[in-house]
Amino acid sequence: MFEIKHTLCPSCSVGCGINVILDNDEVVGTFPYKRHPVNEGKNCLNGRNSVERFNDKIGSDIDLDKAIMEISKEINDSDKVTVLLSGNNSLEEASAIKSFSDENNFNIAFYADDLGNFEDVASYNDVENASNVLIIGDILCENPLVGRRIVHAKQNNAKIFSNIKAEKSVTANISDEVSSSSVGEFLDKYSNLDDSSVIVFNTVDSAEDLDKIRNSGLKVLPVYSKPNTKGVLSIVEDNSKDELIEVLNDTDVLLVVNDNIVDEIDFDFKSISKIISLSAFENDTTKISDIVIPIKSWLEYDGSFVNAMGDTQNFSGVLESDVSSVFEIFEKINN
Amino acid sequence: MSYILAKSKNEDILKAGECGGAVTSIFKYLLDEGIVDGVLALSPHDDVYDGIPTFVTNSEDLINTAGSYHCAPTMIGDLIQKYFADKKVAVAVKPCDIRSIDELIKRHKINPDNIYTVGLNCGGTVSPVSGRKMIDLFYEASPDDVISEEIDKGQFIIELADGSEEAVKIHDLEKEGYGRRNNCQRCDVKIPRKANIACGNWGAEDGWTFIEINDDKGQKLIDGAKKAGILETKSPNEAAIEGRAKVEKIMIKMSKKNQEATYPLVNEVEEWNRCIGCYACRDVCPICWCYKNCELSKSYFKDDIIASPMPIAFQGVRLSHMSFSCVDCGQCDDVCPMDIPVSLVFDKLQKKYQNRTGYLAGVSDDIKPPLYSPDKVEL
Amino acid sequence: MSDEIKIVGLLCNWCCYGGADTAGTARMQYPHNIRIIRVMCSGRINPSMIFKAFEEGADGVFVGGCHIGDCHYDAGNYKWSRRAKIVQDIIEEFGIEKERFRFEWISASEGEKFQKTMEEFHTTLSKLGPLELE
Repeated sequence: MFEIKHTLCPSCSVGCGINVILDNDEVVGTFPYKRHPVNEGKNCLNGRNSVERFNDKIGSDIDLDKAIMEISKEINDSDKVTVLLSGNNSLEEASAIKSFSDENNFNIAFYADDLGNFEDVASYNDVENASNVLIIGDILCENPLVGRRIVHAKQNNAKIFSNIKAEKSVTANISDEVSSSSVGEFLDKYSNLDDSSVIVFNTVDSAEDLDKIRNSGLKVLPVYSKPNTKGVLSIVEDNSKDELIEVLNDTDVLLVVNDNIVDEIDFDFKSISKIISLSAFENDTTKISDIVIPIKSWLEYDGSFVNAMGDTQNFSGVLESDVSSVFEIFEKINN
Repeated sequence: MSYILAKSKNEDILKAGECGGAVTSIFKYLLDEGIVDGVLALSPHDDVYDGIPTFVTNSEDLINTAGSYHCAPTMIGDLIQKYFADKKVAVAVKPCDIRSIDELIKRHKINPDNIYTVGLNCGGTVSPVSGRKMIDLFYEASPDDVISEEIDKGQFIIELADGSEEAVKIHDLEKEGYGRRNNCQRCDVKIPRKANIACGNWGAEDGWTFIEINDDKGQKLIDGAKKAGILETKSPNEAAIEGRAKVEKIMIKMSKKNQEATYPLVNEVEEWNRCIGCYACRDVCPICWCYKNCELSKSYFKDDIIASPMPIAFQGVRLSHMSFSCVDCGQCDDVCPMDIPVSLVFDKLQKKYQNRTGYLAGVSDDIKPPLYSPDKVEL
Repeated sequence: MSDEIKIVGLLCNWCCYGGADTAGTARMQYPHNIRIIRVMCSGRINPSMIFKAFEEGADGVFVGGCHIGDCHYDAGNYKWSRRAKIVQDIIEEFGIEKERFRFEWISASEGEKFQKTMEEFHTTLSKLGPLELE
């Protein structure tokens, strides 16, 4: 049976809507979700390919009870357990993971791309109506559906200033001025813009840059790499890369929930004696994990993500699945 | 080719459908008689601005697809090609849908024997998000209160839950950058004559659907539905036929004017420099069906793209592959994350090709695009 | 700066390539700016090859095939002639002057025509200057 169903794109924090095409309950493609207010049916390549990840789904042919027993043993035997939250977790999952971790007195860690947390963020409309846009990172290429709002700002006569390390980029093509200096110097150079200016960034050089951005007095839009990083930030504080490495150095058992931390930080994960991954998809982290438990992917459960501009968006599962959810796994472990 | 007026004999359909509910009734007939496996038509998901292609296999569910959705600029051709190749399908088609189906038939990607096409006359479609904004700005009513919309006599009309209507001239909306999608504004194929039948309210009396029967298959559809007792028909009078022709003529004249105004702009398009090379335009194009074998995926076109691909080496290649078959459905504009007006150059080149060869994509009869012909003819 | 003009020439094996050969053996002088690529038939040339040449920095692209009626493969040059029209239509939409793309029918015996065509094409391109694509 052919069906088209709505969901959210999981490939970054912009929060685009995406339609999934199902043929006999199999995900076969995407279809533009033109009614969605964030992206109006436009999706980048990552977004359109996001459903292809479904082919890398971890099979559910493991002995779940045995694996749960093993996990219970590992986390009970150690007093250095760290639970790693992820921006891939829905709000509901993140809350459950936090409670699970608190009840058991585990360390909790969370990496938010080193972009920090900003209470007040600019909305996409603020970007469109800005007088000046400061861009840090190749936003047009990496987060095109926010990039599009910057294009609209330019059409509304905004000045676009960008800081990009690469020699050539699409973002540079639309910018009035481009610099490849340090982020700090770049921010200093444009420190006296009027207050309808917006800083849009998906990378910084250092934590000092974040302070500079905070103190700029301008509206700010950090664009994270995962769909619910903004939401998880409302539940736990984030760790910088350095802090995270410190935590990991002092960890015997690492419990990763739906994340691929191995690809994000430079750390010798072999130094951790047990890595446990709960994950929907195969990735480099599940490959080095000692125990891997398959969980539902975002196509299989209902939940909500908070996008970069702070809007909570609900999504519904498009597929039935008998794979366990994060909640079910934790309940089992607790019992 | 002949004309009739038709109206449903089913009370529920008559109430839910637009002007007589003939289209829904014909679908019901096809499903109930087992002539097709299913019907592919739009039904609203979130609201009336969110028409989504839905495959209906039970005639009781057809009622959800009744009515018209001007704020749902969908494309059906590639869906049929990809997902319904082995099924008998009845499908509701706008002119650009049937044109893409026709081009895919010419490419042997759709078997014409497997599809029943019920055409819908089309004055243009509106993008849902900008459509809502437009209603917010130009109408008293809130976009959330609209239960249906209609394009008639040069006006975009919204109907509210309490039965009241509000209308604004399309010309005024389009002057401000709202209204129909850009490709619809210059589209000069308003009646889908390649479909088995073409239905609409132009020239029709209130409560009736005006149908142009385009071929034998279409005639059989009407005869069958009548015999099944679900459709009643009568002949339209001369004034009705003339009235309809007049509407079509005015619409085409407006489109030609828009073509003249917009085609020269192609050479000034500066937007190509913000192309991120995501291939959304190619992937959504109903005519482009090579997928993984696309020449643009070959290493000699893929390597070294750091910033924007050069338009001649990206769109140029696509244009050389299929611009002569462009049906101006505007999907490429709709999905471009960078809002590049992609379809304009494709449509312009199809017009150039038409001027040279007489070939109008998805409309010209029984001939392949001349570029494919083995004949010993120069252009 | 006429010496820096780059011309890519796609010549059909049976006719135009022979024509260039004839010009060469007869020691007819023609501009050295042309880089010749031999193809078996003008009918195997895709528009994308022309576009690729422009993308890679050609200032002009020349295609030479057999006279209509003389195609070694019966109808290849008819096919090319239709494609050539599309190429003309497309390049001018992307800021490439129509004159930068030229195609001719030249037989193997027409060394002189090849020489003359090259000289003309070179003059045209010199007037236009180098192609600058964004």
